Amino acid sequence: MRTRPATRAAQYVAVVCYLIFLGFPLLWLISSSLKSPQEFASIDPSFLPKHPDFSNFTDALEEQGLVRSMLNSLQISVASTVLVLIVSLPVAYALARFRSRLRPITNGWILVSQVFPVILIVIPLFMILRPLHLTNTIPGVVIVYTVWSMPFALWMLQGYVAAVPRELEEAASVDGASRVRTIVSIVMPLLRPGLIATAMFTFISAWNEFFFALVLLQDPQLKTLPLVLARFVGAEGQVQFGPLAAASVLATVPSLVFFAFLQRRLTSGLLSGAVKG
Amino acid sequence: MKKVLTALLAASALVTLAACGGNDDNGSGSGDSGSTEKVTLKFQSLAFQKTTVAASKKIVADWNAANPNIQVEYVQGSWDSVHDQLVTQFQGGTAPDIIHDESADITGFANQGYLADLSPYLSQETKDAVPQGVWDSVSSDGKTFAAPTLLQSYVVFGNTALLKQAGITTTGDSLSWDDLQADAKKLTAGGKYGLGWGLKSPTATVLNLGMNFDAAFFDGTGRDAKAKVGDPELEVPKRIHAMAYTDKSIDPTSLTQSASDVLPGFFGGKYGMIVAGNYVAQQIVEQGPKSFQWEVLPPLKGTSEKQAANPQTLSVPAEGKHVKQAAQFIDYFMKADNLAAVGQGDWLIPTTQAARDAIAKTTGGKNGWTQTLASGTELTKAPFQSVENYPKWKDQIATPALQSFLANKIDLTTLGKKLSDGWGQVNG
Repeated sequence: MRTRPATRAAQYVAVVCYLIFLGFPLLWLISSSLKSPQEFASIDPSFLPKHPDFSNFTDALEEQGLVRSMLNSLQISVASTVLVLIVSLPVAYALARFRSRLRPITNGWILVSQVFPVILIVIPLFMILRPLHLTNTIPGVVIVYTVWSMPFALWMLQGYVAAVPRELEEAASVDGASRVRTIVSIVMPLLRPGLIATAMFTFISAWNEFFFALVLLQDPQLKTLPLVLARFVGAEGQVQFGPLAAASVLATVPSLVFFAFLQRRLTSGLLSGAVKG
Repeated sequence: MKKVLTALLAASALVTLAACGGNDDNGSGSGDSGSTEKVTLKFQSLAFQKTTVAASKKIVADWNAANPNIQVEYVQGSWDSVHDQLVTQFQGGTAPDIIHDESADITGFANQGYLADLSPYLSQETKDAVPQGVWDSVSSDGKTFAAPTLLQSYVVFGNTALLKQAGITTTGDSLSWDDLQADAKKLTAGGKYGLGWGLKSPTATVLNLGMNFDAAFFDGTGRDAKAKVGDPELEVPKRIHAMAYTDKSIDPTSLTQSASDVLPGFFGGKYGMIVAGNYVAQQIVEQGPKSFQWEVLPPLKGTSEKQAANPQTLSVPAEGKHVKQAAQFIDYFMKADNLAAVGQGDWLIPTTQAARDAIAKTTGGKNGWTQTLASGTELTKAPFQSVENYPKWKDQIATPALQSFLANKIDLTTLGKKLSDGWGQVNG
């Protein structure tokens, strides 16, 4: 049945409206980053800045060491993402494929570990990392983020592994492939969407994480992006809205690029999985 | 897929190598406190305004130039997270050598023994320069656990044009609460309110201004303190409520906003006056329309002009390796010109008269500085500042109870009962 032109137009309008709805916070953020302090305090705020001004970006970049903190965050986020994927993949595979009495206990523990509040574990964690000289270091934060993201990553990946038909592995085995070969050549290509989704989750968790970084990193040269963004908020609710909005816009760029990069692979992965499944 | 894996592994190796290059120096220097050995002290400053950050950095630079053996490293902290950060750092023994925080926040740390007694190290000049009432807010058991630097008071800001239009003059040494109420009524007309008051977090305001009427709220100190909620303690909320719901001279919606949230209405002429911490002056100057004329009214007075002193402070960890040197820097920070520079940047009141004089001279008393500085003369330690579970009571009991009262959901008697009974719950 052919879609009427009017229906098609309505569909496009709906999609555009939805995209605007989704993108509105970002548009508002960009608009805010170009406003002057007077415009923020106007009783009649406008969506578009009346006199666009880039000084908020200059302030954000010059005053708060934003670029350095972005590089630190990028370094930490990429490292923890890679480590989480490397460690969780074999564990998730084992949990999904091998039946044992330990499996429900392990899965239960994974779920329980998600309910601990950060504030509860941060001091013991600090006491463990300190004698190892891992406080105030990027590797220390990477290890913490890896461990912190691991349970959920395992939970996610386990589901993806379980969704891969066992028959494919059995067929590979019949053809003489070893288990490692089977995993590398058969399972992993089908797991690509799961790996990418897990990578996205881990990356964004690390990119946005505040509290561990606050406690573990003291050296100004090592501060991560969320720590620097927090500096735009003062005592008693004072906020430097303009520079904060500008810094937030800049902070969004790397994660947008990362997501755009992975999103394409996520889509192609889904398709390839569908064909092979 | 192999390519992806290889890329991931390569990225991992690169990032790990890069990460290993991270600086793990805690920067605290080493060795004992010998005067010939070079030490480096970390000074975590919470300076927020550009001007104050610049002033603080200049103080550090001047000190470093004059003291090659005691170098101070400026580290930027954040008000938003300093408490949680310090909790962990004290536990782990990695707190900065010089800690910037407010008195109310570090009192708990001092009681737990985390802060050094600075009294043997601070100069007599510094000790004499700060009023005893302010020293009391950073002292316990005869020990001084911090040096008080800047003070905040609550002041009334007025829209000069609207005040003139309503025939209100703002001369005199003080402004009585009755006058405030009468002025607010005069200014209320044509959909405009006399007063906008951002009381989203009302406890600090009510307890600080309550001292205008000798409100104590607590009798005793530490965990033995008992709640004391009578007429003097309920006077400030009663008056605010009366203005909001009887006179209708306070915009009731403003009561649910923060001090900064009411600024657009103040700039737009919706409110003739606002009550806020004096630091808001900085936002008025920066954000207000160029044509906007404003003033600070004289300090509020009930039976007195007293308000609680909750100064910003500089303190030193008890386990710090260089307590003496850190105290020397604090002593330097307390010099009149230095305190005046950071005070002026933050629109806060320096704790020493010499620094206040310096600001008065520099500013000529303009932009409300005369009244702002005057509002600091009666600041003193409040009973709640010696009560261990006050923060718990504030968050769990007082704030929701006051919010309910100011929203006209409970009456004054119920408020008093909630404040009083709630203390038993959190201090049990």
